[in-house]
Amino acid sequence: MVYVRAVLAGACRVTMNVIVNRSAARWLPSRHRFALPQLVAFARLRRGNPQDADGPDHLILSIDRDQSAAESYAVAVWVFVTVAAYLAAILPIPLPLAIIVAIPLASIVIHIPIVVGGPTLRIILGDNDHVKIVSVGTMSLLTGWSFYVARGHSWARFVGWFFFAVLACNAIASLILWLLRAEVDEEENQCAR
Amino acid sequence: MTQPSWWQRFSVRGVFWRQLLRFAILNVPPWIEPIVMASWSLFFLMWGSARRAVTRNLGVIKPGSFAIVNFFRCYRLFWNYAWTIADNVRFKEARTIPDWEFTGWKYFQEMQERDGGAILLTAHMGSYDLGAHLFAETSSRRIVMVRAPEADPETRAFEQDRAAEGLRIEFNTRSTDLAIDLLDVIREGNIVAIQGDRVTGEIGFLPATVFGRPTRVPAGPFALALAARVPIYPVFVVRLGRRRYRLVTARPIELVRSRDRDDDFRRAVEQWVEELEHVIRDCWSQWFTFEPYWPELAA
Repeated sequence: MVYVRAVLAGACRVTMNVIVNRSAARWLPSRHRFALPQLVAFARLRRGNPQDADGPDHLILSIDRDQSAAESYAVAVWVFVTVAAYLAAILPIPLPLAIIVAIPLASIVIHIPIVVGGPTLRIILGDNDHVKIVSVGTMSLLTGWSFYVARGHSWARFVGWFFFAVLACNAIASLILWLLRAEVDEEENQCAR
Repeated sequence: MTQPSWWQRFSVRGVFWRQLLRFAILNVPPWIEPIVMASWSLFFLMWGSARRAVTRNLGVIKPGSFAIVNFFRCYRLFWNYAWTIADNVRFKEARTIPDWEFTGWKYFQEMQERDGGAILLTAHMGSYDLGAHLFAETSSRRIVMVRAPEADPETRAFEQDRAAEGLRIEFNTRSTDLAIDLLDVIREGNIVAIQGDRVTGEIGFLPATVFGRPTRVPAGPFALALAARVPIYPVFVVRLGRRRYRLVTARPIELVRSRDRDDDFRRAVEQWVEELEHVIRDCWSQWFTFEPYWPELAA
């Protein structure tokens, strides 16, 4: 038997940010991690999102910066395709075969910074920030690799250029969000009120 | 008691995979999660007995479907399962809660606001602990959940050590004592949550026909409802997407005591099966049954 009253007691000791019965809150920028999706979400939030007549009877939305499925899947696909393309470009086999081999290989390569960096940083830093550092470290490694590939002559340089184009768009979005920070805060507060 | 062999920790129900999942939750940046999930869901397709069982079960749920299509459906089910158990561990380790949608809110409210206790009957869908957390958040009542213990002793110990703070877990195998405990819980006005879709271990069962084929469902919830004179609320936790769940509460099952006890049970089981079939038909990729569900499939 599991006494759930105890689960509640444990859970309530932490602050849980949720918004109840406001479907527009799906588009809160604070439910997104990267600047570009945050900006898109802000635009959707400003445009207004009428309550869905066919929506659920009751809705609880969690306010967490990793809550957006679209953002998470889009970034994951982008990173995976980028790594797979770089690997396919360096494999000394015909391209169609290289692409097939690169797909499982990319999955393994992406695990390496997590498996190596995660526990090491956790020992050094404790539980607080190590995932953030693994995250930044992984993205930095990918940026460095992209820089190397983008300067080369293989077909994968286009993938590298695209990688930097996305980074540039994100940087511009970050700047716009910084300029609009007061409006973003106001819009979020209004939605949460 | 014999000591389990060292390699048993690497068996599919062994503790190693729980430890690896916890490691992943603690170390994987959220934007890499989908890649990790996709990779490991693919890896676990090598779990032949579960893959075959799921494929056969899907063959019954979707009659006339091709084996190859059911193989890919099986991957989708494994993918959903991976996300579900990951969300569960994430809640335990980081208190991260997903989005929740409710359908059948009026029944859910009715269950919480009624004078006496109630029985919440659910299936092996979505996340058990996450659902428990949500009930606890929205309910002023104590909810007691009955679950089967983990098959592997090390896995059981691992899960008990990492249960939510203050979480009390009892794997009571003395069915008579458990029944009396649960009856007391209901009489105190609380809610008992039981998984009623499949029979695990040596527990009492009732015959049922699910998707046109004979099978068994646990007798406990129905006997308890009859003894305590409380309704049974079918509740299902369905995964809608990444960190997003729907809680479906269906029309309550009222067991009316008559001279023919078997007939009382039969009518209640029929209503439960109707709800169960409806949800499984819509959410076949959420029904985490890794053994052949129907005895004739196991034969």
